[in-house]
Amino acid sequence: MIPDELRYTDKHEWVGAGDGTALRVGITDFAQDALGDIVYVQLPEPGSPVTAGEPLGEVESTKSVSEIYAPVTGTVVARNDGLADKPELINTEPYGAGWLVQIEPADPDTVNELLDADGYRELTQQ
Amino acid sequence: MTDLTLGRSPLHDRHAALGAKFAPFGGWEMPLEYAGGGVLKEHTAVREAVGVFDVSHLGKATVRGPGAAEFVNACFTNDLTRIKPGKAQYTLCCADNGGVVDDVQTYLYGDDHVFLMPNAANAAEVIRRLREAAPPPVTVTDEHRDYGVLAVQGPRSADLVAALDLPTGHEYMSFVEAPLRGTRIVVCRTGYTGEHGYELVIPWSATVEVWDELLRAGEPYGVRPAGLAARDTLRTEMGYPLHGQDLSLDITPVQARAPWAVGWSKPAFWGREALLAERAAGPRRLLWGLEALDRGIPRPHMAVRRGDLTVGEVTSGTFSPTRRIGIALALLDTAAGLGAGEEVAVDVRGRPARMRVVKPPFVQNATR
Repeated sequence: MIPDELRYTDKHEWVGAGDGTALRVGITDFAQDALGDIVYVQLPEPGSPVTAGEPLGEVESTKSVSEIYAPVTGTVVARNDGLADKPELINTEPYGAGWLVQIEPADPDTVNELLDADGYRELTQQ
Repeated sequence: MTDLTLGRSPLHDRHAALGAKFAPFGGWEMPLEYAGGGVLKEHTAVREAVGVFDVSHLGKATVRGPGAAEFVNACFTNDLTRIKPGKAQYTLCCADNGGVVDDVQTYLYGDDHVFLMPNAANAAEVIRRLREAAPPPVTVTDEHRDYGVLAVQGPRSADLVAALDLPTGHEYMSFVEAPLRGTRIVVCRTGYTGEHGYELVIPWSATVEVWDELLRAGEPYGVRPAGLAARDTLRTEMGYPLHGQDLSLDITPVQARAPWAVGWSKPAFWGREALLAERAAGPRRLLWGLEALDRGIPRPHMAVRRGDLTVGEVTSGTFSPTRRIGIALALLDTAAGLGAGEEVAVDVRGRPARMRVVKPPFVQNATR
């Protein structure tokens, strides 16, 4: 499941339209399936600066832990606090209620440097 | 050249059809979890209903001949004379230095016949050591690929096993043989989940048929196929050790809190002198349970700290699906003088996670 309207990183994050000019970020269906049942999520506070390619938080399943990387440089303007009690939303609705953070990008054009759906499909089919 | 191909269970195609994720496990390619399931659902099915595990990767061996039981008793740690034919016993195969080569389930048929179930990864080594020591005419036969093993575990396990017209009333740690459609299978009241359960030892080629029947007959009881990932969270909640993590050639039964699995008054068993000496002197470290006071999941090899001092290491750690907290088994230095109720910190990737020292199990045992 790779929605056409989203952009993707090669580390399995997706990026879509958020509130206003912010970008919404989550992990892909491919990533949640590989991780298995997610039980903890650690996300940055709103206001935190993030740098493209650098870790911004982590998701932990019963078996392992994975870092989440910032797809773009900018500032975190919102985080999904509902995940604290229901981390399983990442498994059940990775592109919906399981979103992680919203980032106000420093440069709105950088999102166009990310993979499109076809590019990500190619990456995950290898 | 070492054989690098992974072994496959007789149920491999069944697992693939169920969308299993596979992982190498002691040289075998076994299901970790199933599509539509996942660790949490599979774990919960075993705690609340019933789960069926394929544990055909476990080793199997038969020791036979006059004095077979006496021979096994002179090798492994536990006292086999404490049990009668028809009963099973958990025991350890130790090295001379007291380290654990493997933990083994023994099934006593009689003086001249003992069936063994070692771990997949160590079966060949356990068999090698036994063969080297076996006095003729006692023989040790490797039956790794002669039998499949299915573990039916959970509060509804008796209902499910009975639905196949198999016996279920025998007591914990005993076994009986029974026919199933002309095949002879062994129904053991054993398991490694902490729940009431059975392990079925089935001729290799008949394993598929029994698996299919268990999943079909189990529907009204809420059965789920359960993978080895759930088996690991279940056994960790019970504080049961896993060889290679909580028991190893470097970790003795005295350290792993398994002195109950050693027949201390026996005149001979492998590792006896080293273990007696360690017991007399007191172990330098001891296996404890840790439960998280904050969010944070301990993982194997993470350091345990008390203030600035490193006082031990996590050997097994996971998220407890039943308790919904991080739990761990950890070897703590006895010199640190820690006991149940005290607080330590586990270094979770550079962050200290607060944990309480406890005596396992983390979840009440319901095996009987």
